[in-house]
Amino acid sequence: MAGSRRIFLGQCGTAGAASVGVSLPGIWQSAVRAAGWLGKPGTSGRVLVVVEMAGGNDGLNTVIPFADDAYYKSRPVLAVPKDRVLKLNSAVGLHPRLGDLRTLFDDSQVAVIQGVGYPKPDRSHFRSMDIWHTARPESVDLRDGWLGRALERDPKALAGGVPALALGSEKLPLALLSGRVNVPNVQSMDAYKLLPAPGDQSAQARAKQTLREAVALKATEAGGELDFLRRTADVTLTSVDRLGEVAKAYKPGATYPETGLARKLQVVARLIAGDMGTQIFYVSLGGFDTHSRQQPVHELLLAELSGAVGAFLKDLKSHQLADRVMVATFSEFGRRVAENGSLGTDHGAASQMFCIGPGVKPGVTGAHPSLTDLVDGDLKHHTDFRQVYAALLQNWLGYPAEPVLGKGFQPVDCVKI
Amino acid sequence: MMSFAQPTSTGPLAPHDFGAAGWTKADAAHLLRRAQYGASAAEMDQAHRAGPAATLDRLCAIQPESAEFTRADDLLRKTALDTGSTANLQAWWLHRMLRSANPLAEKMTFLWHNLFATSNDKVKDVALMLAQNDLFRAQALGDYGKLLHQIARDPAMLIWLDGNANRRRHPNENFAREVMELFSLGVGNYTEKDIQEAARCFTGWHMRDGEFWFNDTQHDTGTKTVLGSTGAFDGDGVIDICLKQPACPRFIATRLLKTFVQPEPDAATVQALADCIRRHQFQMAPVLRELLGSRLFFSAKSRGCLIKSPLDLILGAERALVTAPRLEPTARCLEELGQAVFLPPTVKGWEGGRLWISSTTYLLRANFASELAAGTKYGPLMDLDAQAREHQLLNASQAVTHYTGLLLASPPDAAVLARLRAFASDQAAPATRDRGLLHLILALPEYQLM
Repeated sequence: MAGSRRIFLGQCGTAGAASVGVSLPGIWQSAVRAAGWLGKPGTSGRVLVVVEMAGGNDGLNTVIPFADDAYYKSRPVLAVPKDRVLKLNSAVGLHPRLGDLRTLFDDSQVAVIQGVGYPKPDRSHFRSMDIWHTARPESVDLRDGWLGRALERDPKALAGGVPALALGSEKLPLALLSGRVNVPNVQSMDAYKLLPAPGDQSAQARAKQTLREAVALKATEAGGELDFLRRTADVTLTSVDRLGEVAKAYKPGATYPETGLARKLQVVARLIAGDMGTQIFYVSLGGFDTHSRQQPVHELLLAELSGAVGAFLKDLKSHQLADRVMVATFSEFGRRVAENGSLGTDHGAASQMFCIGPGVKPGVTGAHPSLTDLVDGDLKHHTDFRQVYAALLQNWLGYPAEPVLGKGFQPVDCVKI
Repeated sequence: MMSFAQPTSTGPLAPHDFGAAGWTKADAAHLLRRAQYGASAAEMDQAHRAGPAATLDRLCAIQPESAEFTRADDLLRKTALDTGSTANLQAWWLHRMLRSANPLAEKMTFLWHNLFATSNDKVKDVALMLAQNDLFRAQALGDYGKLLHQIARDPAMLIWLDGNANRRRHPNENFAREVMELFSLGVGNYTEKDIQEAARCFTGWHMRDGEFWFNDTQHDTGTKTVLGSTGAFDGDGVIDICLKQPACPRFIATRLLKTFVQPEPDAATVQALADCIRRHQFQMAPVLRELLGSRLFFSAKSRGCLIKSPLDLILGAERALVTAPRLEPTARCLEELGQAVFLPPTVKGWEGGRLWISSTTYLLRANFASELAAGTKYGPLMDLDAQAREHQLLNASQAVTHYTGLLLASPPDAAVLARLRAFASDQAAPATRDRGLLHLILALPEYQLM
């Protein structure tokens, strides 16, 4: 197959060597060799793609408890009729616009983890999103995020390169923030380019080289502002070069829908195919804050999620890369069980997460929370989101979970081991 | 020229003693970079010649504007009002930031805009945004307490925080919450109950036909208890209570310190400035005069430690290097970098500091450097050959010394200097050499600091 990983790597090894030579920090290569990363056997080369569903996704209309009359009583207008639900078992099914997810489910590539949340749920978007990003519900310490802390345990990430990447945001998501590892964020691939310096070609090349050397210098005061700026500049210039290289050879092996999320995931596929060594990708799909006239908006968003993820996995499969990749979705909260008076739903609490890819332990995990035993009109969670994070870190990526998340978070059984 | 009574602060705010070395050009440059959006070589020379007292007196008092400035200002203002376009409104303000004879007043006007962050995204009325901006400018070096009273009646603010929804039987807490959380006290200095009670005090503070309107039928005249005081307060009553809280001058002190002095001021420093603010009864001119002339301000720890906002970065480079900055691309670049004036992202304003920097924004900052140095998009560069003659930049080393001194807050490491010299020494003509050098200096991590 033309797009197979082996062939691509072969091309990269010869054609790419000269041009990438400068941008691949030697220290990175030697650190990887010396450390013999990755920590846990069998996890090498694996990739996690986090999809944030921002605004508070209505979990109840995503994985639908169609067998429960309480659902239809609480949702006289917004409930999805039983015969339209894409049934996963005798109790729950997917929203009809999640067709691609259903196909993947039938192909044993989806784990639905029900009843996920955290104690004393906060209904503020900002606060709850911060909690999911930091994985610290009990503290307002926003200095780093759960993925950032995980990267700090990876000698390869500490040595530079592009260990993780956020796509589509102007600011780096808090989840990827770390005091020691700088993660690039790419708002737009087209704009992610360094303009040439003034002057002729030789002046441009010398200017670029001078800048690369100047930003790679170690600052006297570790952790100070100049240190922070230099590290950011360094990872920026490195990632620009490497993204520019890998952008060239990839051909999509699936037709992606014309949606924002699909465009982002296609870029992720291209970067995975380019084998930049990036282990964590972060993308966001916004608009889930459906207080009024929810139905048409919510349907489109679910269709966007499903179509984009479906095409992404198909593309990866055609490049024989799917086995290495897992997608995980989350939202900062679910929504109230009862619909409100303006054809929408208000901020709620517990909801579900999806893990998607050939590496998942497929099926529906955990019972759907009761629709009658509620707290302030909200579903009760039975699984802490940090248990899902623990599974993704420990069982999928091979990072130790406890130093990142704290003690006592038994990984959810959603990853094939 | 106005001057103030001898400052009475001691400790960190005691007047800086310039000692044997005297008032250096680096001191003058430090003051100007913080008190205005960057500085040109001529401004630095002038401030150096004038001395610290005269420079501070000038910055901290309103100066007459030139006829040329006023003509341009009037024209830009009229254009913004006639077209109702946010872009034109931005151009009007950016011109003021670059060219006004009152650069510190413009910086303080922005500080108020950031504190009382109101976006035309929701207000959708250029005239009201402009009127609010005039309000900020009138108190730029003036009275914060008076401004807090005025902003509660400001039509743009009333739209922004849903004043008309605040009715006797259904108080809306939006404005009452922000008055305490974001405008005067900060989180942790009030309770939810205080906000509910304060919201009652502001009921009926409405807007009609683009003006403040006290709708007495919707005002709750009952007794309220706010922050421990009980009475039949109205909105002004709440604001007076807020102004009396010890947290209020600390809140303003923190904002001033983070804008002008250090990213993470310690509690003792905040308290020292809060005491100074209280002593001057929230009058900004004497407070700034003390702060910007203080030991703290000129200490080594306060130099080169603030990450530049896009305004500081872009306007600073233009002020130093571009003869006639082009306002429209300037505004666009500011927007890309996340600081479109009149369009703050949320009511919290722009948080600043390290949050300005990500790889996407760093790349945009570096690309700004190359486009500015090319001398087309943002306006023509000053005549580099003439500069080389005037400042006797006979070789690479002299050019590096001159332009790093002009543009960087602190002298860079020897390793950086060596690389800049090596780069510059490979160039033949001074103009080519210095254009390339300017690009590099502006793209350095060091240039992101002030």
